[in-house]
Amino acid sequence: MRDILKLFLAVTIFSAVSGGLLSLVRSSTRARIEYQQLKFVKGPTLKEIMKGCQNDPITDRFKIKVGKKEETIFVGIFNGQPRAIALEAFGKGFHGPIGVLVGIDVKTNKIIGIGVTTHSETPGVGARVKTDPTFRAQFKGLPITQTFKVKADGGQIDAITGATISSRGVCNAVNNAIALYKKLRPEILKRLKNFKSKTLRS
Amino acid sequence: MLKRVFREFIKGLWEEIPPFRLVLGLCPTLAVTKRVEDAIGMGLAVIFVLTCSNVIVSSVRNFIPKQVRIACFIVVIATFVTIVELVMQAFTYHIYQALGIFIPLIVVNCILLGRAEAFASKNGIIYSFADGLGIGIGYTLSLTALAAIREIFGYGTFFNIPVFGPSFKPFSFMVKAPGAFVCLGLMLCIMNMFKK
Amino acid sequence: MDSYIVLIISCIFINNILLMQYLGNCPFLGVSKRMDTAFGMSMAVVFVIVMAGAVTWVVNYYILKPYDLEYLRTLSFILVIASLVQLVEMFLKKNIPALYAGLGIYLPLITTNCAVLGVCLINMKEEYDFLHTLVSSLSYSVGYGLALILFAAIRERILLARVPKPLQDTSIGLVTAGMFSLAFFGFKGMIH
Repeated sequence: MRDILKLFLAVTIFSAVSGGLLSLVRSSTRARIEYQQLKFVKGPTLKEIMKGCQNDPITDRFKIKVGKKEETIFVGIFNGQPRAIALEAFGKGFHGPIGVLVGIDVKTNKIIGIGVTTHSETPGVGARVKTDPTFRAQFKGLPITQTFKVKADGGQIDAITGATISSRGVCNAVNNAIALYKKLRPEILKRLKNFKSKTLRS
Repeated sequence: MLKRVFREFIKGLWEEIPPFRLVLGLCPTLAVTKRVEDAIGMGLAVIFVLTCSNVIVSSVRNFIPKQVRIACFIVVIATFVTIVELVMQAFTYHIYQALGIFIPLIVVNCILLGRAEAFASKNGIIYSFADGLGIGIGYTLSLTALAAIREIFGYGTFFNIPVFGPSFKPFSFMVKAPGAFVCLGLMLCIMNMFKK
Repeated sequence: MDSYIVLIISCIFINNILLMQYLGNCPFLGVSKRMDTAFGMSMAVVFVIVMAGAVTWVVNYYILKPYDLEYLRTLSFILVIASLVQLVEMFLKKNIPALYAGLGIYLPLITTNCAVLGVCLINMKEEYDFLHTLVSSLSYSVGYGLALILFAAIRERILLARVPKPLQDTSIGLVTAGMFSLAFFGFKGMIH
């Protein structure tokens, strides 16, 4: 009995020390890991949407709680003003959810650009919703009052040839993002009012 | 004493160089040697984990009950692997993504448990340190050599810099799974030729 | 239903854990010299991977995720697998001695078989639900067994052939595995 207790104690002590050490390392790297993940997964898309902004939208982000989930809002500064925000929403594609980042000008309520972040569509076909610049350019400058649909559904967006379902998924993701934005707009404007950028360049 | 420390260090570089002389740790050798950059990243991770786990195992070797030593070694190794995982994620995210699940899989790399059991649990701290560092560096050298061959022929680049002219057609067999097996097999054959 | 069939085919053939994902190679080369050991090892691997897949899924979604402890995944998974193997070994020894006689000696080797931890990690990375996890674990391990048994059949022949000295043993094994992997590459066209 005493032997078994000793064995048990040894493993427990080892695990406890290791757990403690790891939680220490974890808490000291946490912020940086989050930043790196955003930078590599959403960074390239975000950069294109916020072309010409004077800050780093990844660092200048804030979170709003919606129910149990937290939504991340990226802020872009133009002419010294926090004028644009970007947020992500999902739409159902051919093989799974398509994540789309939508940039919106908070003054004019127009889309400044969209971009696909994550997807699992077929390479060369559905995946072109991410890579084809003319497809995503169609959304640019359109007001957020409308609902986006592909032309096959009686809408205004030209679908990618052979990838109607993926294109429809992107439209739905954009609609979801706009709905989310409309819901959070008062909160976002409140936060932007006293917004202080950490990475502002003149 | 200094002489023995040196001997323990140097044996990992040729006499017992993994995975050729010490046929252990084949999976990462095959999987992460598509590009030299990834191979070096993996090698550095192994050097860190192996050296640290060797030192820790050696320093607590007299306190661990014999029946649960393997479990304790695994906990020590897994701890350092997780540290590497977190640090890589924070500072070299693209290498972390390229290596994927092979970073957590360092835990079951037989080299680590093998050295802990065969060397560190029987020898002093300084010798274990030298052994871990030597074997780790040897492993990194092997990975880098294999990756260099595969990257040069498979992609026509070295460290992502093109080495051939634009007319070079990559021999993409080399960077696919079959090429990995054949390359490693032939390298092992060449190493065997040096053995008397 | 379709998704299960695609998953099964892709796990057994297209993404064969051994020949395409390079996992579990050390025991692969170690035990493939004889047919009976290869068969015993395959069965033990199937058994352990399916159990480990199920248990680690529960650990991940009911313990690690709710408490935001996912950074402890590697540590907890390997401990779970190690203790699972130990328990299975004790259980078989006591209750099903016939099965223990067949699988017993391979079980301790399995803790450090990276295919086991690898399959568990792949399941988490792909975010499968419980049923998909079970199917994928089963298919991956069947794929492992298939490759191992087929390979052992070839390797028994190689033992009879005259292989140049430096190429002998592991070296020729790896080259043969390469040819094998090339054959499995042919399955790539099966699912778009």
